[in-house]
Amino acid sequence: MNELDQAGLARLRDGWISGGAAFELAPAEWKEVAAAASPDERERRLLAIAGQALDVALRPAAPKILRRRPPLPVLALPMLPERLRPLLRAALKYAADARLKTRVAALVASRGFVTHPMDWMPAASDQSGPEVYAPWVDWQAGADGERQSRREHLTAATWDDFYPAARRSALIDLRRSAPALARTLIETKGASEPAEVRLAFIELMRFGLGADDVPFLKSLSADRSGKVREMAGRLLARLGEHGSPASGGSEDPIAELAAFIEEGKSGFIRRRTTYAPIKPKSQAQQARRADLFATCYLGDLVARFGKTEVDFIGAWQFGVDDGADLFLVRMVSVSGGDAAVASLADLLAAAGGRLAILGLQLTARLDSGRKRVLISQILHDAQNLAALNMVEGAEAGWLEWGDLAKGKTLSTLRSAVSGDNDVTKRNAEQYLEAIGFLANSVTAEKLIDEVVAAGLPPASSSLSLLRLNAALTENPSKSDR
Amino acid sequence: MQLDLKTVEALAPDQASLGAAAKLTKRSNWPRLEAHEQLPLIWGECQGSGSNPYRVAFDTSDHGYKCTCPSRKFPCKHILALAWIGATASDSFARVDQTPDWVNDWLGRRRKPSQSPTPAAASSEGKSIDEATRPEESAPVVDAAAAERREAAQRKRAEDTRSAVSAALDELDQWIADQLRLGLAGFVDASSERCRRIAARLVDLKATALAGRIDELPAKLMALRGEERPDAAIRELGKLVLLAKAWRAAPDDAELKRLVSTSETREQILANPDAVQVESDWEVLGEKIETRRDGLVSHATWLLDLKSTTPRFAVLLDFFPASAGRRSGAFAAGDRFRARLAFYPSRYPLRALVAERLGDVAPGAWPAFAPDAAGDPLAAYAAFQDGAPWLSDCPIILPAGAIALDEKDGAWWQAASDPHGIALPVAGSVNQTLLGIDLAATAALWNGARLELLASQSSIGRLDLS
Repeated sequence: MNELDQAGLARLRDGWISGGAAFELAPAEWKEVAAAASPDERERRLLAIAGQALDVALRPAAPKILRRRPPLPVLALPMLPERLRPLLRAALKYAADARLKTRVAALVASRGFVTHPMDWMPAASDQSGPEVYAPWVDWQAGADGERQSRREHLTAATWDDFYPAARRSALIDLRRSAPALARTLIETKGASEPAEVRLAFIELMRFGLGADDVPFLKSLSADRSGKVREMAGRLLARLGEHGSPASGGSEDPIAELAAFIEEGKSGFIRRRTTYAPIKPKSQAQQARRADLFATCYLGDLVARFGKTEVDFIGAWQFGVDDGADLFLVRMVSVSGGDAAVASLADLLAAAGGRLAILGLQLTARLDSGRKRVLISQILHDAQNLAALNMVEGAEAGWLEWGDLAKGKTLSTLRSAVSGDNDVTKRNAEQYLEAIGFLANSVTAEKLIDEVVAAGLPPASSSLSLLRLNAALTENPSKSDR
Repeated sequence: MQLDLKTVEALAPDQASLGAAAKLTKRSNWPRLEAHEQLPLIWGECQGSGSNPYRVAFDTSDHGYKCTCPSRKFPCKHILALAWIGATASDSFARVDQTPDWVNDWLGRRRKPSQSPTPAAASSEGKSIDEATRPEESAPVVDAAAAERREAAQRKRAEDTRSAVSAALDELDQWIADQLRLGLAGFVDASSERCRRIAARLVDLKATALAGRIDELPAKLMALRGEERPDAAIRELGKLVLLAKAWRAAPDDAELKRLVSTSETREQILANPDAVQVESDWEVLGEKIETRRDGLVSHATWLLDLKSTTPRFAVLLDFFPASAGRRSGAFAAGDRFRARLAFYPSRYPLRALVAERLGDVAPGAWPAFAPDAAGDPLAAYAAFQDGAPWLSDCPIILPAGAIALDEKDGAWWQAASDPHGIALPVAGSVNQTLLGIDLAATAALWNGARLELLASQSSIGRLDLS
């Protein structure tokens, strides 16, 4: 369309927008086509010509500036094979919230694959997903592709080449392999960061935490952020460095907490010391006790009784007060030393039942072996399998069929799916989802057969994760990537 | 398979359903009939009146059922027919050990009844298989004069319809002239009310299809930015002018009749020698489901011909009442199948129905379609407008490109080869992940103003975008 036509079209358009006859405003050639008709017909003919001109001859003008995002980084693992994507999408659809969806991605990553980005992407703020997704987390957060695609070692010189998620992932690796180097980086580079970022760095000190970290952590007692000081204090407490900021003085919280615990003796021949919670007399006391357990450090408390952490835990009378048991386990998880955490986890796993479930509070600090022992025990007892959905940092795809078959879980699931109780059935579906994450592929496949034989519809969506898990066995061939 | 005709009789909601089911028990109506080897399940695809076959599943143990047809009778004639075949010709079912995804979906959602059904649970009273299978009494022999009278009546009805539609188009012409006189600014603001009024008038005058189109105009305008609406109104009203003129010039033209008044039936299309039939491999590009103001849901399934050297598309179009609830489609995006499609006669054939489905096709990439010689991604649209200037949505294959954002975060498709040149605005919002993926080829609908993305091919495989 030439410029004259365009100008004529613009005039016609303006005329029609405001209303009235626009024939005289049309380009000369268009007028010829539309002439020799009634006034209304002339307008309609022009309308048809103008409509076609707008449709074919004119196109929406592209803005001068169009922003393109950098290419989505290629991750270190291959993408899930196309044929498995429907199973992945079904499992993601069944997962009720972001945490459970992340768990599906963790299962996929544990088998050496990543999800298709249109099926699942980590959020920009995601810190709990598999580390392989760190470049996508940074991409989501707006990072440009050039810097983050570099695969250099994290050093003071390369610090700025890393975007936050990739840097976090690199720092974790460094804390595991060379904790002193990582600490130096956190110390030198973290100081200039805002409190929120400093806190995230200090939190990473839990990886490879050791006595060498004490001077740096102590230096943080002067940090301007209360949260940073609190985190450093907890880490110090884990290293056996006592002394809560609030201990001592006339309002000593450790003394106040100790007053809620009764020292006693048990045994006839070999008398040994026991510690039992004293029942609070009021709601206010109960709340105060919870508060004290949450803010005091284990090391300070046991020092008050002149015991080691491990001895104190061994002497604690579990079962007297469920609330106090929970508070103590949380306290150990937050500020107990590694030995105390391991000792408590062993104790709770050996006790089984309700206490083993209590042990899930410790999973963030347990090594892989102890986590598995604890989860195996919970599966064996089958008292509260739904709790398995809440496990923090559990590993995917290790549960053997033997672990599952020897306990009560299988019979619990069978009776639930074959029964008429809708609540029990719904619970069983949650258990299947939890086991779908924990099981290895053989276990997943066998479990599907078991519950289907017991009456669960073979296409039940609660089997989605198990089905994905079972299908992921063929992954090693990687032939159809 | 434990089914008998008594069960079918008891399940039927009425005698008419049984009668209708009896007619559907012919094997030719069922391109697919399968039974599970271990589970008490049978399913099939029944070629109904829609462009897609209906998907029918039946649990032979508790008589649970599912059909994708829009019938409000439960169970519908398709379920009854499937059960009927199961009871009388179980050999017709291919034995398989896997259930298709759509059966899985249904099984996953359904809640089994607490008790097994008993034959007494449903009553057979007033319904009879025997009666349903009784051949229809032969029509009384009519004399030649009666036949002539009937034909004359038919001719008169056709003539009346033509006169009514002609009057409808006269009213439409006048209405369009009125809108121009009153101003398109006012028309855009009051389009809902004004379009409703003329649409109702067109329905009265038997221009039903045209009425439906005008009824949808306000929604189309509102989907655009304020400054774009007058242009969109000019385009659409201009197309209506052209359509009215074309109909007046050829009122018996099948395509124009379909666009103005009513569409042909499935049987008419299959029997029509002018309806081109194409047997090929097809990929489901995507779906477009819209609830219309007239209470119907329009369900368009866009297909790409995988054997054609130039991009060839088809659309399977079904309508059903919105009150019938959500209806699962016969296909999922990305499905590939071999089928013979019958195209509705048209200058630019797009609308089609599945005449025969011939099995599934393995997944893979799209054919490498040769780009337009001038490098214009909208060349196909220009050809489409030459052939059918009264239509809007044209399927196109875009070359390599990417999605970019303007300053208002509106999405644009931008050609990879010319990042500062060709760019087309995308309708609605896009998945942000798409912004980081280079698109090797993209299938979309272009309506002159916006792209509606259907699917793309990329380095990380096929992307569903509809």
